Amino acid sequence: MSSTFPRLHLGRVLPALGLAAALGAPFAAADETCNSPYIANLIKGQEDYVYVWALGVEGLGDGSDKLVTVDVDPKSKTYGKVVSQVSVGGRGEAHHMGFTDDRRRIWAGGLSGTDIYVFDIATDPARPKLAKTIKDLGTKTGYVGPHTYYALPGRMLVQALSNDKDKGGVTGMALYNNNGDFIARYPMPVDKGGDGYAYDLAVNPSKNVLLTSSFTGSANYMRPLGDLIKDEAAMKRFGNTMVAWDLKAMRPTNVMAVPGAPLEIRWSLTPGANWAVTAAALTSKLWLVKQDAKGQWQAKEVATIGDPAKIPLPVDISITRDGKGLWVNTFMDGMTRYFDLSNPEAPKQTYEKHTGRQVNMISQSWDGKRVYITSSLLANWDKAGDDNEQFLRGFTWDGRELKQVFEVDFTREKLGRAHHMKLGSKVLRVAYR
Amino acid sequence: MSARAILLTLSLSARAAGFTHAADDPRVLDFAPPSPGTYELHRIMRAPDEDVLDVDGRRARLSQLTRDHITLLGFIYTSCMDPEGCPLAYRVFAQLKDQIQATPALRDKVQLVSLSFDPARDSPSVMRQYAGSRLEEDGGVRWLFLTTPSVKELMPLVEGFGQDVRYSIDRSSGRPVRQLAHVLKVFLIDRAGYVREIYTSTFLHPQSILADIESLLIEQEGASGAPP
Repeated sequence: MSSTFPRLHLGRVLPALGLAAALGAPFAAADETCNSPYIANLIKGQEDYVYVWALGVEGLGDGSDKLVTVDVDPKSKTYGKVVSQVSVGGRGEAHHMGFTDDRRRIWAGGLSGTDIYVFDIATDPARPKLAKTIKDLGTKTGYVGPHTYYALPGRMLVQALSNDKDKGGVTGMALYNNNGDFIARYPMPVDKGGDGYAYDLAVNPSKNVLLTSSFTGSANYMRPLGDLIKDEAAMKRFGNTMVAWDLKAMRPTNVMAVPGAPLEIRWSLTPGANWAVTAAALTSKLWLVKQDAKGQWQAKEVATIGDPAKIPLPVDISITRDGKGLWVNTFMDGMTRYFDLSNPEAPKQTYEKHTGRQVNMISQSWDGKRVYITSSLLANWDKAGDDNEQFLRGFTWDGRELKQVFEVDFTREKLGRAHHMKLGSKVLRVAYR
Repeated sequence: MSARAILLTLSLSARAAGFTHAADDPRVLDFAPPSPGTYELHRIMRAPDEDVLDVDGRRARLSQLTRDHITLLGFIYTSCMDPEGCPLAYRVFAQLKDQIQATPALRDKVQLVSLSFDPARDSPSVMRQYAGSRLEEDGGVRWLFLTTPSVKELMPLVEGFGQDVRYSIDRSSGRPVRQLAHVLKVFLIDRAGYVREIYTSTFLHPQSILADIESLLIEQEGASGAPP
């Protein structure tokens, strides 16, 4: 691919630019629908790659956490195959990742420590390179387990899950610039109803609001799930709140009661929309966060996911670009469900399919026609034996049926446990080098 | 007239028309921003420095031109036709200029900088054309139209500010589309040369920018003990 699309030098590119602009040459734009609104260069057509952040498994391959690049262009000769992988040299409970606002880099991290890995995906989108490791999160903030990487202009807001004192869930956010220089820390509120816990974050700049959700600390998420659920005291140490923040001032404005560990937050992408949804993992409920008549952000339960008595454990959600549909993955029963969100006050499940023995993350293309699913939740929470499938599965979605079109077996390929995904495109190269 | 000159003329004409409409189309916020001085604008990074050229072709370090003012800097290229790109920034800058002009406390303390990242096309004389009457308003808010001698001087600025520049590929033909694709950013730089806020074209609101400028002035006042 690099030979087909050679890197261009700015000095050679620029003289031709005026002509292209005058002719109205289109700029490609598609992407999964759950990124920061500040992220540039969305991909509106066919994505070329799925980047999978994978947890290393001892004795499997090099055993290291790694970023795996899978070719997902159906027209490619390597469709559905791994085209590159880059290890970080150790295991640290690889979990989530996020693009910088210019989409030139992916920041990724692990929940067991504090290191943050920065991958260059713009020089050669098919072959990301580890460009930098940020090592000062712990010393600058006291936080552990960097989880969410959320792009702000020229900066990255990092949500941690735990702290280095008691490994509990009281934690906060850290702000870095895109060069990886630490700027500031923001503790999660522990007053006015706040429990100090954190998980995801998502912003709506048009409303000047940042929402955060809450999970649990390292002492819980690094513990085998079977042990944990028998420990009544430990099971009380899960987040039960969401917080609305003044985005500009980075101050909490109100704490909302959302029991049962609210996880991923998805804003409606419809211009002018003033609502977001989340799924509470332990109670298996969908919640709507919306402004009331006074402009205050309020949360309310709006739907049930599966049978809460069976603890299906909703672990990831993906909203469609028009805000009218929501994919929900539940880990324990391996189900992928689709909810009609036309009325966000009353979501209705319209489809379900068993997509794996254990399923975790779900991402969709901008047009919603392609859906990607991975398998791993946490190293110590994944199932055992034959149920411990580790994969990236690609599906097509025609509005009626999810049809699997490829699979990468992460165990057979000696890659590890497949977790978070981001979509990539070979058109997104830098114009200069 | 050469093809390039024709294109430039068309570009400038379209821009002029767009500019007229834009002045009547102020962007409004859907929320009340926090009051100036009640929040912190962090030192995000130090602004990069390099040689630049003004519309008369005079060479200076960018830092020389920004050190005495609070500066709002945006990258542009004069042939940019993306309505959400350079023309939008031009409109917003024009609105801000008028609002700053009308506020005596701000007038002498704030300046605007439009910096080209197309030195091959945007010579000082082209930048002068682009600036038009904005250059000729005596006693008003300073608005500098700068370019660089070459790509060599430009690149440290583009990279240092983190202004993304990409080329694109036409998927239908598979061929590179030699179009400069960028998501426009605007940088608020304090008198000490630190970038204190970064705005993108998607969320470029004069009201919010003015609040940030006032916050920096309040901060300066607090540091110096003197009125801003």
